[in-house]
Amino acid sequence: MNIVGIESSCDETSAAVICDGKLKANLISSQHFHKDFGGVVPELSSRAHLQIIAPLLKQALNQAGIKKDEIDVVCATAGPGLIGAVLVGLTFAKGLSYSLNKPFVPVNHIEGHIYSGFLMDEKPEYPYLCLVVSGGHTLLLIVESETAIRKLGSTIDDAAGEAFDKTAKMLGLGYPGGIKIQEEAEKGNPDFIDFPVSQCKNEFDFSFSGLKTSVLRYIQKEFGNAGNIPIDKIPDIAASFQKAAVDALIQKSERALKNYNVNSISIVGGVAANKYLRERFVLLSAKYKKSLNIPDLQFCGDNAAMIAQRGVMLHNNGLKFDLDYNAYAGLPESAFIP
Amino acid sequence: MLFPYKIILNSEIDTLKTAEEFSKVLKNGDIVALNGNLGTGKTFFVKGVAKQFNITNVNSPTFAIVYEYKGDRKIYHFDFYRIKKIEELYDIGIEEYFNDDEAIVFIEWAELMIEILPKKYYLIKINLLENNKREIEITKHE
Repeated sequence: MNIVGIESSCDETSAAVICDGKLKANLISSQHFHKDFGGVVPELSSRAHLQIIAPLLKQALNQAGIKKDEIDVVCATAGPGLIGAVLVGLTFAKGLSYSLNKPFVPVNHIEGHIYSGFLMDEKPEYPYLCLVVSGGHTLLLIVESETAIRKLGSTIDDAAGEAFDKTAKMLGLGYPGGIKIQEEAEKGNPDFIDFPVSQCKNEFDFSFSGLKTSVLRYIQKEFGNAGNIPIDKIPDIAASFQKAAVDALIQKSERALKNYNVNSISIVGGVAANKYLRERFVLLSAKYKKSLNIPDLQFCGDNAAMIAQRGVMLHNNGLKFDLDYNAYAGLPESAFIP
Repeated sequence: MLFPYKIILNSEIDTLKTAEEFSKVLKNGDIVALNGNLGTGKTFFVKGVAKQFNITNVNSPTFAIVYEYKGDRKIYHFDFYRIKKIEELYDIGIEEYFNDDEAIVFIEWAELMIEILPKKYYLIKINLLENNKREIEITKHE
């Protein structure tokens, strides 16, 4: 069975092909298109998605070695995301499905992340603790099955990835913040400053706004403004911030492991690419004797492979969708995420 | 609340009180621009206003660019932090959000694309002072 996945919910356009359970192509615009097609300045733009989507799918089919009429199921992100951007991929997928007379499966982007661990050879075991950490989301969940997800907590202000990006900016490190912080932090002392971990009313919720403000206060108090930070202090601040951010994620995850019986742990989303976070979760999973699943880097950020993978899961569960299925900006009632 | 309105906020409770007072003057179709550096509490202020309309799921829209909330009122919560060009906002369809007479629009980092604002809007400036105090200034532009 040949499955096509399309993703266009935010900055990235992506197309993926899974043939008989094997991922054959996972092309992501920022990594492939800009390079291969002569450079479009990355911008938030439905027009950019529109220009990229058809040639990107063509290239993905070529790479997978299948023809358009050999596609069996067409999956696409239906939301949440910027509605104009989502519509480009979703409408394209509907058109493809209609023209081929093959099933169309709309996929919830966050569910795509939640089940992205199944793209790996060693798959998560139900029920598993799932931490979704990205630029826009921070969620702690128990995934009980392909169709049952229980939410323990989420961020009450900023997402974890946002804290990385904004701290990088405060330190004058530029974009993308996650990688820059990681690089600087590797040279620094994580115990240099003791930034606090925020506690929330719900013991599984996260708050990263306070951490961001603590870093800002520290910079203002010690150096006046960001421009005055001595270069040799940046790694220490980055390392201390990174430790505090990951401490928060570890703390809430550990609390969940103490309270809920799970068989494995899966860390997904863009921030799961962070090396220090990976190391800390290796230790945590060893402590609780749970298997740890963290997807490869190409499946951490927004990608269509996870959309195809989640779509085929829904399809195999017998779920059917009409072509009048609408895009959504926020979480719809039909989502499996509460 | 009369404008221009200016007050020192000594604590989060003060911020919530000001947000509550401000929520009383807001009408559907209003646009509220929020300016203030990182960590001054723009999202927290929006949270405070939204709470008055029984909306409790306010998060930072930095990555998503816009969130939509529904309670007793409808709110569009924008963040221009990641916006590089005004075309990106037109592409998102910002005029449709602005012209929705049944919603209130909040915009964080509005100063990054000030030229997109319509003639009528509230401008909220938050400045961080010493000892975790803040100064908030609300003006009405028309």
